[in-house]
Amino acid sequence: MKAKVGILLAIVVLVGVIASGCIGSQESSETETTGVELTGDFTKDILAIGRTLESNGINEVKFSAWGSGDPNSVMRVYGIVEAARRINKVWEENEVNVKITITDIHYVASFQDAYQEYLSKQPLGQAGDFFVNSYAFLPTLADEGYILDITEYANAYQNVIDDFYPSLIEASKFNDKLYGLPQDTEARPLYIRKDVAAKIGFNLEGIEEKVKNGEFTWSDVYYWAKKAKESGAAEWGLIHRKGSAHPDLIQFIYAFGGKLYNEESGKLVVDVPAVYKWLYVEWKFAQDGLLPKDIMSWDWAKQIHPAIVEGRTLFDIGGTWYWTEWQTKDYYGKEGTPRPLKPEEVQAWFTYTLFPAGEKGLKPVTLSQPFVWMINSKAGQQNPKYDELKDLYHKLAFLMVIKASDPDINAIHSVISAHLPVRKEAAELISNEKWLDDLKSLSIDLDPQVKSNIKDIVATTVHPINAKFLADVSYMLEYTKLAPAHPKYPALADIFKEAVDKVLRGDMTPEEGVNYIIQKVNADPELAQNVEVVGEIPKDWTLQ
Amino acid sequence: MKGEKLRNLSFFLSPMIIMVGLFYLIPLIFTIYISFTKMRNWNIERYLTEVVGFYNYQRLFHMFQHDPLMRTVLLTTIIFVGITLIINVFGGLLLALGTFFINERSSSAIRLLWLLPRMSPIAVYSLVWYYFFHGSEIGTLNSILMKLGVLSQPIPWGQIVPWGAWSVIIFVNGLVGVSFGMIVFTSALNQIPKELVIAARVDGASAWQISRKILVPMMKWHLLYVLTWQFLSLLTTYPHLFLLVQWDLVSRDYGTTLALYVYNTAFGRGEQDQGLAAAAAVLLSIIGIIGGLVTLKVLQFEKMIHEPRGDIE
Repeated sequence: MKAKVGILLAIVVLVGVIASGCIGSQESSETETTGVELTGDFTKDILAIGRTLESNGINEVKFSAWGSGDPNSVMRVYGIVEAARRINKVWEENEVNVKITITDIHYVASFQDAYQEYLSKQPLGQAGDFFVNSYAFLPTLADEGYILDITEYANAYQNVIDDFYPSLIEASKFNDKLYGLPQDTEARPLYIRKDVAAKIGFNLEGIEEKVKNGEFTWSDVYYWAKKAKESGAAEWGLIHRKGSAHPDLIQFIYAFGGKLYNEESGKLVVDVPAVYKWLYVEWKFAQDGLLPKDIMSWDWAKQIHPAIVEGRTLFDIGGTWYWTEWQTKDYYGKEGTPRPLKPEEVQAWFTYTLFPAGEKGLKPVTLSQPFVWMINSKAGQQNPKYDELKDLYHKLAFLMVIKASDPDINAIHSVISAHLPVRKEAAELISNEKWLDDLKSLSIDLDPQVKSNIKDIVATTVHPINAKFLADVSYMLEYTKLAPAHPKYPALADIFKEAVDKVLRGDMTPEEGVNYIIQKVNADPELAQNVEVVGEIPKDWTLQ
Repeated sequence: MKGEKLRNLSFFLSPMIIMVGLFYLIPLIFTIYISFTKMRNWNIERYLTEVVGFYNYQRLFHMFQHDPLMRTVLLTTIIFVGITLIINVFGGLLLALGTFFINERSSSAIRLLWLLPRMSPIAVYSLVWYYFFHGSEIGTLNSILMKLGVLSQPIPWGQIVPWGAWSVIIFVNGLVGVSFGMIVFTSALNQIPKELVIAARVDGASAWQISRKILVPMMKWHLLYVLTWQFLSLLTTYPHLFLLVQWDLVSRDYGTTLALYVYNTAFGRGEQDQGLAAAAAVLLSIIGIIGGLVTLKVLQFEKMIHEPRGDIE
């Protein structure tokens, strides 16, 4: 009898726990009215929100900011801290007794790791309220309901939205709805060592134009790389990035006139001729000893960057952020203890062009991977009366992102991290010498916490040479391509990476590499449904 | 009387039954359930109730048929578990026997040395071997061999497939596992009455004869335990492998076992497919159960747990 009662009790407790969990997780279907509608007038909106919060007894709003990237890109999180300070100032000046506190600043190096952490913690309500990451993850996060749809809020701020580059706003959308605001972007230039080029008689005068008009193609890159290697001017002809084939090496697909996405069918594309030519270039360079066969397992800090900054290669496919990264990290070890480069050295040793066209008659390209400020769909949940005031917290979070997109905040980030500005006003600021001088001496209106965190980076990176570099490469955005924002794209990119690695190592011929990709796509029924394989392997194609 | 016995049994067994239920049975049931859902990207609210029948299993078997990587994963699992198991069990046994015949101070020092891999944090331990086996001149092994003039070019050890990659993962995991067997066997050896060894010594038996005829037969239980435990442990281990593959030290194809595949599918990619991973995990559990039962059968576990014949009343 006692046993039966015990079992019954256990069942009741279990059912109770499950039921309470279910009830707790249910979202209220009622729409909370907060009485605040966004008007597009920032001060007016922020005051209205502040006063409503105050009247509800809220005097402190807590938010957390999560970001990722290279050490110089910390404004991805400190931009939020600065936005909070600017909003607090407005409230203070207007005697609104509310304050925003950024409780957690979480910044990690790997954006993939940051994404995985967000993905696993968002459903548990433990992820950051603001999340800066690649636009490539936006479709998945939007599709799962993990980030806030800000389309309606943004309608009220159309004047701000219009100042962003339109292609970047498009990259922040999923199914025609806006899920974030662009934070930065970049180009991926082909760097050429001037000193190595001089040794082999490679005249770099007008090289930028020659690449731009498609006169200088990958055949020329091969020719000069081979000459540099054979003459002993450099150990390697070409060094490129490693890791997932997204988003660097797929430039080859675009440079060979291929595509990765079919807009009509909404499917990803394996463009066989372009993929074959890409793999052929990789294979040929590796076979001829111009590109390390094991580059995909090279160490970033000990091998890849030192080989470039020490002039052991003629060409390098890199990113604009390399420019300041080389000035802050100890990669140059030719004189003994590794040290960073000086701005003058970077300028003297490197020139930069677009990613050349694959063949004559085609166009050069570059590739961008915009980072986007996204707002957690549970933003503000660590605050009191969340269920009643959810809409208000969400609107406040949106206005914080609008504030964090202020042209000066965006321009500071661009200058110190060598990323390209996302707003036209920020681009103008970068070419303003007085503003640059003020930034150099940090005599600008910034939160003390932000100032102390970027002080060292500012000291080494704010330099007229770096500002000129940013201005010089800005035109590349006209040629930029974006990898498809498709939830299945990461899986396809992984397969590309595996194929490139095998071809580089000589384990597969380019033809076998293409067949491997097709086989892998078809092996997963779910991927096969989302990918179209088009075209055929070109016959007798070589790098001429 | 019977009820009282049952009550007593329940009292003593309940902590273990609760532990097993909470940490083994319920997760297993959950895993089986998730394998029948479309669960992905941690979206419990949306997918946990979306039952898709055998869809994940069909997808998994389709991949086994058509994806060359999946066959490599299975082969790598068999080779990795098989060889590392032999190293772990016999290496542990050899170390225990070896240290048994030398003086206590030296044997303690040797045992402590072999425990170091287990005591080191996984990331630190893996990083040591990452730099040791690195395929370029920055790798310690390559650097030494090049300085000695044995090599003119560095060798990408972990990228030589299949045996280079397999050797590295077996070596790194083998070193960790050996200490477990060593501890168990050493403790077993210390339980064997010293008189037996002394008597054998008096009769002129060598260390090898003492080991083969006296010590090993008396450690049957421990051998069975270490063998079964290490088999299941190797089948499901992935942290060292994950880091070595993630850092591109070893070939992704030949460094990925089924356990690592489950982890990567569930948590390690852009799209995290927990439904498919759960199906693979169920498969892994089935292999583990069958393998465990076979081990027990081969080592005649049943015979070992027979009650004594009762010669003494």
